[in-house]
Order: sequence, then structure tokens, then C-alpha cells
Amino acid sequence: MEHLLKVNDVEKIYGKGANTFQALKDISFTIDHGEFVGVMGPSGAGKSTLLNVLATIDTPTKGDIYVEEDNIAKMKEDKLADFRRDHLGFIFQDYNLLDSLTVRENILLPLAIAKKPAKEIEEKVNTISKTFGIEDLLDKYPYQISGGQKQRTASCRALVSNPKLIFADEPTGALDSKSATDLLESLSGLNKEHETTIMMVTHDAYAASFCRRILFIKDGGLSQELIRGTCTRKEFFQMILDELAEVGGDGNDLV
Amino acid sequence: MTLFELALKNIRRNMKSYGLYVGSTVFSIIIYFTFAMLKHSDDISGLAETSKQMQAVMSASAFVLMIFVAIFILYSNSFFMKKRKKEVALYSLLGVRKRSIGFLLFFENIVIGLVALVVGVGLGFLLSQALLSLLLKLMGLSLSVGFAFSMQAVIETVVVFFVIFLVTSLLGYRVIYRFKLIDLFHAEKQGEAQPKARTISALIGVLALAGAYWLALQDLISSPAWRILGLAMPLVIIGLTILGSYLLFSSVLVYVLNLLKKSKKWSWRGLNLMTSSQLLYRIRGNAKTLTIIATLSATTLTAGGAIFGTYYNTEKSVEEMVPFSFMWEGEAQDIDADIVEDEVSFEAKDVTVPGESYDQSYYVIDEKTFMKLAEALGWDVENVDLTKDEVIMTDPYYDERWEDKAETVEIGDDVKTVDAFYEEPLFNQLTLPGPVLVMDNVSYQELEGENTAYQAVQIADYKNHLDLSKELEAKTKEFSSAVQSYQDSIEASGAMLFVGSFLGLVFLVATGSIIFFKMMTEAEEDKDKYAVLYKIGVSKKEMKKTVRYQVGLIFLAPLILGLMHGTVALMAFSNLLQMNLWEPVIIWMAAYTMIYILYYVITVRGFNKTITQTVTQEG
Repeated sequence: MEHLLKVNDVEKIYGKGANTFQALKDISFTIDHGEFVGVMGPSGAGKSTLLNVLATIDTPTKGDIYVEEDNIAKMKEDKLADFRRDHLGFIFQDYNLLDSLTVRENILLPLAIAKKPAKEIEEKVNTISKTFGIEDLLDKYPYQISGGQKQRTASCRALVSNPKLIFADEPTGALDSKSATDLLESLSGLNKEHETTIMMVTHDAYAASFCRRILFIKDGGLSQELIRGTCTRKEFFQMILDELAEVGGDGNDLV
Repeated sequence: MTLFELALKNIRRNMKSYGLYVGSTVFSIIIYFTFAMLKHSDDISGLAETSKQMQAVMSASAFVLMIFVAIFILYSNSFFMKKRKKEVALYSLLGVRKRSIGFLLFFENIVIGLVALVVGVGLGFLLSQALLSLLLKLMGLSLSVGFAFSMQAVIETVVVFFVIFLVTSLLGYRVIYRFKLIDLFHAEKQGEAQPKARTISALIGVLALAGAYWLALQDLISSPAWRILGLAMPLVIIGLTILGSYLLFSSVLVYVLNLLKKSKKWSWRGLNLMTSSQLLYRIRGNAKTLTIIATLSATTLTAGGAIFGTYYNTEKSVEEMVPFSFMWEGEAQDIDADIVEDEVSFEAKDVTVPGESYDQSYYVIDEKTFMKLAEALGWDVENVDLTKDEVIMTDPYYDERWEDKAETVEIGDDVKTVDAFYEEPLFNQLTLPGPVLVMDNVSYQELEGENTAYQAVQIADYKNHLDLSKELEAKTKEFSSAVQSYQDSIEASGAMLFVGSFLGLVFLVATGSIIFFKMMTEAEEDKDKYAVLYKIGVSKKEMKKTVRYQVGLIFLAPLILGLMHGTVALMAFSNLLQMNLWEPVIIWMAAYTMIYILYYVITVRGFNKTITQTVTQEG
């Protein structure tokens, strides 16, 4: 089967001349349809850079990134915009909601941009908001709801257009443990039931334990890969902690 | 729901942040439209006798105003765009093409522009009505004027602002095209270069300013600087001033702040470190803005001071040129004895003395007449006793820069010594212009020439007798009156005063607003820093203090420089016209400073509000 995402020798160098910094070096991996992949690594290892490059927010210095047939590393600006609209969803640590729009309007924004008919929008928003349990908040404004609810709103927005691939950058970073667990359970439920493909950057081992597979990054390169397989979430959590302990060094930073 | 509907909704809900932009746009339109209405008003051009001159002044002012309004709107627009970066980035991230975002913003800008135009023209119409009656009052006329709605003014305003909106929209487009998605995520990480103070440019700055001031204070006639530079002189002065101001801001202030920062005793106390560091970045980055503001302030102060000074001096200059309430040639007239303070009836002769290059004609009177006139004018003159070879000379046009005082006068075959010389006019210059000779009674009798009878009248409260003046004017020859001259000058300089103070007000408001917008933008950028400060235990009181200092210096620096420039320019102006402007200029500068301070207070409040909101939200 064709891979959903294929990353080939991606390299990212910041700066010019003598003052360069190699944030990513020779990264290659693949993600298949329906996977829930976590990316872990110490601060400054290049997690967010990798996510930005994959999410077309930033461009790689070298290498190819295929989403199915399309090489997004070589795509033109306008095509990229269309591509993001049709195939990608984003969840950020700081939500990035528009304060002037209601929860409902924030969620339907991608559909409005894609010029979907109103009826379809209505249905989709209702369905997705039920999945995340925020159907009662639809007419509230972002400043009226809690951080966890905001993040669920942002997740709804990311998922409502049914994208091929969801990118989540530390989605639980600003949430309390209860909200974080709710969100992660919703995401992992969507992954199981609707085979939504998710790639999540996190440095929280607990959040990572909801994933099916984890890529470890160190100094800009891939260092290790963990696969959950048939383990329970708790067993996987222990495996991640062990792995982190083994990587050592910046261990404190990871947990 | 389409993206457009969402965008419209966004406008409605975001009214607060749009408010500033819409408000400043409406404000600009009101100002410009009001001015255009006045410019096209027939009443105005009909009123001032020097209507061609007036039209030229109005057109030039309209042009200046246009540039100013354009700069002002550009500033508010860029501030507005900065605030909306996040929204734009989000649209882009969700896959809206840049072209669509650009179109969205363009559409939005045009809608805002249309609304602002309608509101601005409406309010501008009302304001122009009020201003016109104020102007008429200033010009001392009690006319009722129907203020016709000028279609020409509307068209002019619409065209000017349409162009401005087009430019801002295109600039908005440019922002969208240059903008990279990654900037949204790394916006706060973009560091600024540490500003460096170069001693050499600091030195050049001080020298340039000193040079400009020195040149400005050179006398027009006697200075070699004017001879060498000629007409380029004003340009050289302005150029040096602007260069000096810029270098002063970009180097000298930075240098001083760096010195302060290095002194650990001062900088490591409280938030001083924060204050000086913030100011360092701000001043360097804003050197251009500060220079513009200083230059504009200087222009406003100079032009306003000169015009206000002239207006203020109207009465004095009238009394200088027209010392008597009434004067005419011929017989005495019946004037209500209650109001007459002094009445001199006299005779004068007209002689012409051939000179080297031109003939000089004098009016000649005798001692007795002189004593009476001097008394009526309240001159402090001792009892005059002229011999046959002596004369007294008065010449109101005497200027020491042009000529030497005449020591002798040759009349016929006699050479007479000038015993005393007065620079004040003895007569109303409209009736008996030029220099006057006073001779002893015998010589006067012997002097060839026809005796002409004149009347000079001094009345109480002369400004309130315009009717009497008109009545006398109809009956007499060579009539001149102080009240009529006063009226004429007020009419001419009142219009100037109006145009001047109107422009001054606009410039003042615009400079204040530019700083305001600038500081509010910076408050938005800095608010996270203050949130951090609050979290590490800095009290709100202390934060407010550092804000006061920071905003204060940004306001104060260009104001002080502007005041300095203005003072020097007005000194040059008053030297040139030999007018004492101190009093009006100080009043004017004080008024300017007061309004400026008001802006400072408003800006500090706005700044504090922005950062306190953030602090309390997060804290």
C-alpha cells in the first residue's frame, strides 16, 4: 500500500554563512494511513521544526515530503494553500482561535473557506462537536470557555473538514491533566473509529502513551522508534519512560 | 456561510480594534473636508481683500494637509494590520490563498473607507459651518453667511481619499505577499540588533544643529553667510536641522542612554534597566519617526507663532503706522466733543531735497505744531527751541541696516543740522507718508511752498468708532483712521490666523496621534514582557512608572527639539521683521505644549490599559 506520508532525507538549516544551525539532518520515515504517531525528544532537538516543515508552515532546506502523490516540499505557494485547506488539520498549544467568532464559527471556518454548502456545514459541525463533547458551547465565545474547551474547539476545527493528516503541536501543553486526558481520549478514539491519521509532537510521556508509535528525535536526527503493538496504554507508558531514561542526559526535561 | 460573511461578522465583532482605525480615518476626512469646504467657499475668498493670496495660501495648505492626512492614515493602517496578523496567518494556515486574503482585506478597506467618507463628509459639513462663523468672528465681521454645500469640495475629498485608500490597500496586499507563515510562530523570537552609538555621528549631529541655528540667526542683510549661500540658505538651514535632529535621536540619545545603562548604581535599581533598554530599542527604531515629529512640531510652532504673533501685534503695528485716530486734509469737522481727547489743526509744507541717487521729499512743520502733535501722541518731548540751523527729523521707515542717520539736511542753500531724530511716525502714514522735518517758526515761514491745512484728531476708545470714521471719510480728503486700518489688518491677518491655527491644530493632532499609534503598537508588542514582569513580582505601580518614563521620553524628545527649532526660527523671523514676538510666541508654545501633554496622558493611559489587561488576564 502507498504510504500516506513519506519523508525523504529532509534537512533544515537556519541562518546563513558561518552562523548556521542545522535543526534537522537526514530525516526519513513514513506514516501510513490511520496511524497515531508521536514525536518526542528533548527541547531543541528539532521536534517543532519537523512538525512545521511537514505541516507546510516552514520549508525544508533539502529533501522531499510526499503526502500520497504530492511532494509538498516542492509545492508552490497557492497550491500549498489549497493543499492545507483540503488535506491538513492543525492543533496548536495556544489554540489560535479567533476571539471575535463563536465556537461554532471557529469550527466551521475551514468548511466556509472550502465553500461547502450550509447544510453540510451544519451537520458536520454538530457531529464533530458531539465527538468532543462541546455541543452545548457552540454559541459561546472563546473568552467565555476554559482552556480545555478551547483546545477541544481547536481540535474540532482541525478535524471538521476530514483532513488526511492532523498535526498537533504540544496540544496538551497548556491543559490540566483532566482536560488533557479528555482531549487525548477523544483523539485516540477518532483515530481508532474513523482511522484519522494524527501526528503529535509532545514531550509529555503520558500524552505520548496514547499514540500507536513513537519517533524519538535527538540533535536533529531520528534516534529511536517505539511501537505500541498489543501493549496496553499503561505498559506503553512504562516503555516510553524506560526509553527516556535510557536516552538519559536531558531526561529531566522530558518528564 | 461564506468567508465573506465571516469576515463581515469579524468586522462587526472586532469593532473595538477597528474603532481606532475607523476613527482616525473619519477624523482625517473631517479635517480635510472642512478645509476643502473653506477653500471652496466663496465667502472666504470674497472676504479677504487679498483673495488671490488667500487662495494660494489655502491651496498650499490643502496640499500640506493632504500629505499629512496620507501619512496619518498610513500609520493607523499599518498599526491596524499588525494587530490582525494573527487572523491573517490563521486564514492562510487554514488554506485560504494569499490572493483571496488580499482581496478580503482590500474589500474590507474599501468598505471602511466608504463608511468613513460618508460619516466624515457629514460631520465635516457641520464642523465647517461652525468654523466659518468662528473665522468671521476672528476677522471681526458680523455677517450672516449662508454656507453653501460645495460639491467641488466633496469631489476633491472623495478623490484624495480614494487614492489614499487605494495606496493603503495596496500596501496591505504587499504585507500579505511578504508575510511568511513561519513568522506567526516565531514572531516573538525575532531579535533586534543592539543599537550602537557612534561617537562620530553624535558629534556630527550636534555640529549640524549648531550650524543650522547659527545660520538661522544670521542677519539677512549684513551677514556674509547670506551673501555666499543666497537663496539656498533656507534649504541649507532646514537640511542641517533635519539631519541634526535625526542624528541626535539615533546617536546622541542612544549614547546618553548607554551611559546611563552602564552606571550600575542607576540602572540596577528597580525597573531602570527595563526602562533604559526599552528606550534604547525604541529610539533607535523610531529615529525617523521622531525626526518627522520634531520637524513637524517645529514647523507648526514656527508658522503658528509667526501668524499668531503678527495677529497679536496688529494693534501695535496699526498704532505705529496710524498714530492718530483720524487725520485728513482740509477743514476741521464737527466731532462729538465728549469723545475727542485731542484735536490739532495745523499746516504743513512739502519740500523736495535733491539727493545723490534719489530725491527725498519731506513734509515740513514748525516747532509749535510739533509740540502740539507730540503732546497729543503722548511723546516725552522737552520744550523744543530750535535755532535757524537746526531741524528735528522723524522717519518711521528708518532702518539702521539700510542707511545711516542723516546728520544734516540741505534745504535750498541752507544746511541744517539734525538736532533730534525720532523713528516713530508723527503722522498717519496714509495721510502724510514719509519723513517729517520740524523747523523753527521763522524758517518755516520763510520756506517756499504752499501751506496745506491738516487736521489730526485723537479720540477715546478709537476702535469703537468705525461709523464715525466712515462718516468722516465721506466728507474729507486724504482721510486716514486707526480704526479702519485696524479693521483691514484684522481682516487680512485674521484669515491667516485662522488658516494657520487650523493647520497648526491639525498638525498637532496628527503628530500626537502618530506617537499615540506608535506607542499603542509597541504596547501590543511588549505586553508579554510586562506579563512576565508581573509574574516575577513587579508591582503594577512600578510598571506604570516605567511606562510613564518610556512614553515620556518619546514625547519629550521631539517636543523639546521642536520647541528649540521653533524658537530659533521665530527669533530669526522677529529679527527680520523687527517685531517683538516674545509674548505671543510664549503663549502659543505654552498652548502647544499643553495639548501635547494631554496626548501624553492619553497615551500613557492607553499603554497602561493594554498591559494591565494582559497582566490580569494571565495573572
